[in-house]
Amino acid sequence: MAAVHGDAHGHEHDDHHPSGIMRWITTTNHKDIGTMYLWFSFAMFMVGGTLAMGIRAELYQPGIQILEPELFNQFTTLHGLIMVFGAIMPAFVGFANWQVPMMIGAPDMAFARMNNWSFWLLPVAATLLVGSFFVPGGAAAGGWTFYPPLSTQGGLGVDLMIFSVHILGASSIMGSINIITTILNMRAPGMTLMKMPMFVWTWLITAYLLVLVMPVLAGVVTMLLTDRHFGTSFFNAAGGGDPVMFQHIFWFFGHPEVYIMILPSFGIVSEVIPTFSRKPLFGYSSMVYATASIAILSCVVWAHHMFTAGMPTVGQLFFMYATMLIAVPTAVKVFNWTATMWRGSMSFETPMLFSIGFIFLFVIGGFSGVICAIVPIDIQVQDTYYVIAHFHYVLVSGSLFALFAGAYYWIPKWTGRMYNETLGKWHFWLSMFFFNLTFFVQHFLGLAGMPRRIPDYNLQFADFNMISSLGAFGFGLTQLLFLYIMISCIRSGDKAPQKPWDGATTLEWTHLPTPAPYHSFEKPPIVK
Amino acid sequence: MVGNKTFANVMMLKKLLVFTLIMFAFGFALVPFYEKFCEVTGINNLLQPDVQAKEIRVDENRWITVEFDANSRGLPWQFKPLQNNARIHPGEPVNVIYEITNNSDREINAQAIPSYSPRFLDKYLKKFECFCFTKQVLKPNETRQMPVQFVIEPGLPEDIHTVTISYTFFELPDGTAAAVKR
Amino acid sequence: MRRLQVSGLSTDKDHVSIWQVAKAVLSAFMGIRKKSDLEHDAATLKPMHVIIGGIIGGLLFVIGVFSVVKLVIS
Repeated sequence: MAAVHGDAHGHEHDDHHPSGIMRWITTTNHKDIGTMYLWFSFAMFMVGGTLAMGIRAELYQPGIQILEPELFNQFTTLHGLIMVFGAIMPAFVGFANWQVPMMIGAPDMAFARMNNWSFWLLPVAATLLVGSFFVPGGAAAGGWTFYPPLSTQGGLGVDLMIFSVHILGASSIMGSINIITTILNMRAPGMTLMKMPMFVWTWLITAYLLVLVMPVLAGVVTMLLTDRHFGTSFFNAAGGGDPVMFQHIFWFFGHPEVYIMILPSFGIVSEVIPTFSRKPLFGYSSMVYATASIAILSCVVWAHHMFTAGMPTVGQLFFMYATMLIAVPTAVKVFNWTATMWRGSMSFETPMLFSIGFIFLFVIGGFSGVICAIVPIDIQVQDTYYVIAHFHYVLVSGSLFALFAGAYYWIPKWTGRMYNETLGKWHFWLSMFFFNLTFFVQHFLGLAGMPRRIPDYNLQFADFNMISSLGAFGFGLTQLLFLYIMISCIRSGDKAPQKPWDGATTLEWTHLPTPAPYHSFEKPPIVK
Repeated sequence: MVGNKTFANVMMLKKLLVFTLIMFAFGFALVPFYEKFCEVTGINNLLQPDVQAKEIRVDENRWITVEFDANSRGLPWQFKPLQNNARIHPGEPVNVIYEITNNSDREINAQAIPSYSPRFLDKYLKKFECFCFTKQVLKPNETRQMPVQFVIEPGLPEDIHTVTISYTFFELPDGTAAAVKR
Repeated sequence: MRRLQVSGLSTDKDHVSIWQVAKAVLSAFMGIRKKSDLEHDAATLKPMHVIIGGIIGGLLFVIGVFSVVKLVIS
């Protein structure tokens, strides 16, 4: 037991890595790469957030004020792409880089050099994506799902987007291959699969989903590219293709992608809640099985995104029932988290607040999802703000809140310093208030029929849009507070003890000093 | 021990890479699969003749105006129906003649794609003969007259009084497969 | 006595019944599993069994939902 603490010293000989910028460019250390992933995704979060501010500023009042319709369409498209592929997904990979090796007692990721490569592809892809605003014709403007024929007709911006998606896909695939191999091959002795922390389990399943569907996305954007430039007609009706087929292939990727963005946050929440309830996770094995179940089911429900694209009743009913059945394993998880808190000696530090906020708001998003799954309702609310409200409840108060919870939870271990608890709580309550102010009213807008991706709207929608925009500005500003909390924690936070959370039980808290040494677990710990 | 572990990792990497390639190929395999699926289930049946039902009741109490529309997209073709519209009873067989002329001095392959208004007309429209079932090849300056034969079933909702049948000719680039493979 | 039990377990290991795989896969679809059963599964089931079971389970799920749909619209 005590021997593992010796890891922090005695390795000076291989510690003379380059300093300055070269350290970060050449690093193969999972902690460095994790840090870079997290900063990159935060930068992208800021870029995507700025686009969102632009969208909400335009929608503050009816009429066209700030953004021309073409630019507005570019904003909505790039907001979606950047948030999904640039912010949420890399942030989770960053968490995996930091936490997976420490949680399973491995010294590093399995393929350290590939890890470096998969990170450095991201800035390239991000440059292509953001740079496409400045090419003639502007960025892609056909929505983040880039349906043809709009995406086969767009200008250079669409090509840049296609390349960017290719690169991001390659990066994710390499990242997930690395994570799978690390989890399956590099565990410390005694760390059986069924002893792994929930976060590791959810990432293992997510990584499998990624290698399953990311290549399909790469395939479909390749078809788009050949349709645009090499005279094929996969999606061109005149040449015998079918634009609806694009939607089927895209959503075969797209629906599992939704779960790729939520499963790791289930994992983070499943670490945080037991810690602050000071009880083991209720129904650990059920949680593992439910995660696997969600992953499998997520592959047979894709067409619920396209109920209005034209489909026989048999198909509509099939996808409707299958979608509603996914609610079962998801509900199992929610009940397990609640049961974990039941009669625990709970305390409400910032990570716990974000986790409870996650459960509360994710359940709302889940329920509006079941409502959208019902075909007759979906035909009504398709492409309205109701759908926008639904998926922001799942992705912002789901994925993003869980990311915040994880950041506050692990930042003492990463930096050796505590964040400011008071400011953290402010961050939570302001986020909670402004998030609901922004998105709850969008349910009403959607039910009243306000279409998405339109820069102007009817006067009847004016009040709710103004409320929503005010909420969005507040939410955006609140995230600057998060940046401030993190920077002041890194620079001048109080020293953190080895285990600042007394309920924590995973290896990084029990077996490693704080801050985590640059090389940890070079001698594997013995897990009982 | 360390060597074993590296070996195991590399084996795992290879397996996962192969799996990735298989899934990439699977994405492309979805294309023929999709077409086959549509063909077998009869979904998306725009380009195949319908079988003439033995007894279609003609609803003589209703009149429907059928408008005919013809476009050619980026083609040096003149394409028009010989009549612009027809007043018919639901269930009554209709014959329309379309005329195309190739105004250029090269041979052109093209495919006509139908589209209907209202959109759900395809459920009630049965076409027995149409130039859109196959690709059309026109020699330089050739003119051709082609029939379309169809029935609009009496099940068409009562509130529909006017429907539009539109065809657009698209050029097929040389070397690409013809639109109609079936 | 103890030895008997141990040898009993090891014969279990060699003969994983289809029923056991089915139970594991079914409970995975529901997302509910008892801890003792899970430990028994983890000790005896091979990944290959579970993958094949999972694929068959997935197919059965699709066929099941599909037949419900057929029933509803018939």
